[in-house]
This record gives sequence, structure tokens and C-alpha cells, in this order.
Amino acid sequence: MTYATLLARNLRRNRLRTALTTLSILLAVFLVCAVLTLPSGLAAIVDRMASATRLSVHNKAGIAYLLPYSYLHKIRAVPGVAAATSFMWFGGIYDEPKNMFPNFAVDPDVVGAVWPDYDIDPQTLADFQRHRDAALVGHRTMRTFGWKVGDRVTLRGTAWPVDLDFRIVGELTKNPVWFLFSRVYLEEALRAKGQSADFSGMMWVRVAAADEVEPVMRRIDDLFRNSTAETASETEKSFYQSFMSSLSGLTRIIVMVGFLAVAAVVFIAANSSSMTIRERAAEIAILKALGFRRHTLLALLLGETLLLAAGGGIVGACGAYGLLKLLAYLGATSARPGLGPLSMFEMTGTILLEGIALSLVIGIVAGVIPAWGAARKPVAAAVREVF
Amino acid sequence: MIRLGNVSRHFRRGPDVVKALDRVTLTIADGRFVALMGPSGSGKSTLLNLLSGIDRADEGDVEVAGQRLNGLSEDELAAWRSHHVGLIFQFYNLLPVLTALENVELPLLLAELTADERRRRARTALDVVGLMHERFAQLPGTLSGGEQQRVAIARAIVTDPDLIVADEPTGDLDAKSADAVLALLSELNREFHKAIVLVTHDPRALRWVDEVHHLDKGCLLEGDEAVRATESLEQALGTARVGR
Repeated sequence: MTYATLLARNLRRNRLRTALTTLSILLAVFLVCAVLTLPSGLAAIVDRMASATRLSVHNKAGIAYLLPYSYLHKIRAVPGVAAATSFMWFGGIYDEPKNMFPNFAVDPDVVGAVWPDYDIDPQTLADFQRHRDAALVGHRTMRTFGWKVGDRVTLRGTAWPVDLDFRIVGELTKNPVWFLFSRVYLEEALRAKGQSADFSGMMWVRVAAADEVEPVMRRIDDLFRNSTAETASETEKSFYQSFMSSLSGLTRIIVMVGFLAVAAVVFIAANSSSMTIRERAAEIAILKALGFRRHTLLALLLGETLLLAAGGGIVGACGAYGLLKLLAYLGATSARPGLGPLSMFEMTGTILLEGIALSLVIGIVAGVIPAWGAARKPVAAAVREVF
Repeated sequence: MIRLGNVSRHFRRGPDVVKALDRVTLTIADGRFVALMGPSGSGKSTLLNLLSGIDRADEGDVEVAGQRLNGLSEDELAAWRSHHVGLIFQFYNLLPVLTALENVELPLLLAELTADERRRRARTALDVVGLMHERFAQLPGTLSGGEQQRVAIARAIVTDPDLIVADEPTGDLDAKSADAVLALLSELNREFHKAIVLVTHDPRALRWVDEVHHLDKGCLLEGDEAVRATESLEQALGTARVGR
């Protein structure tokens, strides 16, 4: 018989209570691990998508305001600019209003130069430039709608009063959701409806060298200063971060709710620990009388709560890790393409360890007061109380 | 040798101070089997707690096996008890989640012994108290009262203590089991020369012990008072014998 035997036997004493307490800790740690992936998941998405040498140039008043299309030629002439394209949101939907996804009109001849990191093969780029109705589609969007290269699809415009038919000429393997098509094709359709198309939502600019990024941004913004549409240039990373920052408030609330759930579980576990210790007052008095010292009893009683919490924490954290891995796998394969952003949140090893550490904190906080109270009580008082 | 010199122990109950023990002086020689007797509230258990190092005296000196207990801290007393005192309680107080053998091993966790050695000593102790081998792996709840008390006695002797204290060890047993437990304690006293101090109301103890001390209202009875108390118990024991 060892101390470990004693710990294990005590945990098996009331199996239902042990199981329920473990389960509550397991769920709390699972929840916290899952919500902790939100900020890092969003940051990872930004990191994955953003290039160090790509700039977003948009109206200084905000991205909802347009820029004159003529700016594109001036921007291309700025020293340090390697390539630039206009970028116009079309807001097209496929079949039903719920099937909305990001689709944009761009300048096909520079797509390869602005997004070299997308590794679009030359033949696909050539097809994209050759056909005025050509479209390049993100891999997840392709799977969501069951499209394949060569398919013809129609998008109904919501931002612009035109419906457009497209032929899919290639898949974007490095961008999951975008749907890119020719600006000329949109212009023609709008002109046919008697509308002007001499503007762009924003411009994407690729800078020739990383150390040129800051000067190029300054040069572009200086170029249009005091014009009717002043520009604001920022790196792609900064652009996505400010876009994602609109979600940060919600993310904070979700994380807070997760930690409040942990606080509730601490109270549940502390209550369970107090009840267990109170029920065993006579046994604890006997152990003291036999000569078990305070620190040994404290370690034994706290050890029970810690063991229980660690068990729940390890299963909860590993469960969250496994589930998010599974979602990522299902999202990346054709098994369940409709998982959307759920499949983009990856739980890192650090979060896994944080989850396990959190469970230990739960165990210590929940167990320390009842355990210390029982351990520090003088043996004479403990014996008198129970015999 | 156990020496108590002018020992007092007071308890506060609300606004009142209760004198559980009042200037008790007592000496018990090594290897003696001693009974402390008296009515409820006479201070028997308080005295037992003092000489077993569970409690500390407010006044006076307590010395057991050459160790003066007054100055020891809570943890020092715990360490001293684990090596020098074996405890037996009325309701056995075995841990219900441990088997009989594991309950006996429990105090040995505090000694620096290997797991094999702990197990060997626990088996020997259970053999000494006469528990059947097939009971070793049983949980206390499945043992009879007499068997549980044997396990408790084995737990008290397994550390080879200088002193065994027993608080009403026959209080929860039928007459046959009570006799068996008293006989076992007497045998341990004779075979291993362990000092045993027994608190009991049971007059049957008179047949087994070497000496009896009577307490009343926190004081040790002496002289004629003590003789009369013993005679009264002997009469009760005689009546009990006739009754049987």
C-alpha cells in the first residue's frame, strides 16, 4: 500500500461525485481551450493570408467609400511599385441569398504579379486573361458549392444591378474563399445598364522590395493628398487586422464567458471537495492521531482534487485539440467542405498546455481551502469533534 | 515509564471553564497493563489523550518513554506518536476504502520502509492478533466487530510502539468478543512487554489488568476512595458472572 493507493481509493469512494466533478472540469477546460483558439486563430488566418510586400490602398474615409479608377495608373507609376490591381466588391450570390461569399472584380493581367504567393499556374493565368468571363475560385468555395474547373456559374449581383455568367478556369489553392473575375466584364455589364464603372473599391499593390514598403505607402498617400478622394495605404497584414478587429470585442466576450464558466466550475469543485472532506472528518482525525503530519495530510487531500482536476483537464484539453484537428482535417478534405471558419481554428500545443495548467489551477484553488482547513486543525480538536 | 506530574487540562464551554483534569499525578511503569476507569465526563479520555500525545496539558508535566511532551509542537508530537504510540478506538475507525491488510500498513507509511517490508510487518501483526488469512484482503465493512477490532489492534502494534492506548476497545462488542479483545491485549502485554493503558467502563477488564486507576470529576481517586471504587466494580463483575 502506498500514498498513491490511498489517493486512488479515496477518489473511487464516491464514483458518481468524482465522475460529475471531473466532467464539469473537463467541459470547462474544453470550452476555454476552444475559445482561446479564437484570437490566435484569427491571427493565424491573417498571417496565412498576408504578404509582407502587399499593400491595401483604400479611401481614407473608409473602405465603404470608392476610389477613382484612374488612381490605378498613377499608383502603378509610383517608384517601388511592382504591380497593382483594382479590387471591386461585387456582392454576388449563388442560387440563394444565403450563398453569399467574397467575389471581386480585378485586373486579370496583373493577378499573377500582385499575388505571386498564390502560386497560380501560368496556364490558368493565361486562361483567366484570355476569357472575359473567366473566374478563379478559392478551394473551399469550390467544394462548398460542388464546383469544378470548367463549370459555368451565374452570380446574382447585390451591390450592382447586374447578373453575371462565369466560366471557372482555375482554383485558388492558397485562398480558400475568394472568387476573382475580370473588371472589364463587370464594366461592360454596368455600361449596358447605363451605369458608370470608373471607380474601384480599393487597390492591391505589390511593392518590389520589403524595405520599400514604408516609402511606397507614403508616396501613394502623398500623391493623392488634398484630392477629393484621399487614400490610406496600409500593409496587407494591417488591413486584415483592422478588418478582424471588428470581431475582437465579440471574441473578448466569448473568452470572458469561457473563464466565467471556469470560475463556476471552481466553486463546484470546491463544494465537492468540502463535502468529501467533511464526510471524512473521522478518518482525517484518525490519520492525525496515527501521526500523519499536517503537510502530509494537506498533500493527500489536495492531491485528490488535483488528480481529479488534472484528469478532467487532460481529457478536456486533448479533446478540444483532437476535435479542432478533426474539423481542420474535414474542412481541408472533401469530407465536410461546409465547415467554414470552424475548420480554420487550430489549437496550438501552447493552448493545450495552458488548458492542462488551467485544470491544475482549478484543482489547487478548489481544494486548497478545504484541505488546509482540515489539515491545520489540531489533532486534539479533530479527535474531540468526532469521538 | 509514564509520568504525569500535577497535570491539568481545562476546556472552555461558552462562558464556563470546565476542569477536565485537575492536578493529576500518576506514574505507570514499563510493561504494565493499566485500566483507567470512572464515570462519563470523569476525564479518562482526556488523560489518555495527554499521555498519548494527542492533546497537551495546560499545566503540569507529561513524560512518556523518556520524552517530555509538553514542549513539543503539533508536528513534533505527530512524529513522536507515529513511532511510540499505538492507538485503539471504540469504533475501530478503520479506513473503509482500505483492506484489513492495508489498514494495518497505513501507519508504516510514516516509517522509512520498503513496500515489501511494510507488507511483511502488516501480515505479521495480523497473524499476532489472530485474524484469519482469508480476511486480510477484505474491506472492514465485510468483517465482524470483533475482527475489525483485531485489525485495529494490529494497526496499533505494527509500528512496535512503547505504549498502546485503548479508548473503550470493548464498548462496541458483544461479551464474547469483548473478552477475546481483552485477552488479546493481555497477551500482547505479557508476550511483548508493551505498556497498555486502557480506558473502559467494562468491569471485565479487572480480570486482565495489572492495576486500575479511578477518575472522578477530573481527579484521580486515591486511598479508601480508590479501594471502594474497585470493590464496587468487583461486585458488579461478580453479579455479571452469576448472571451469565
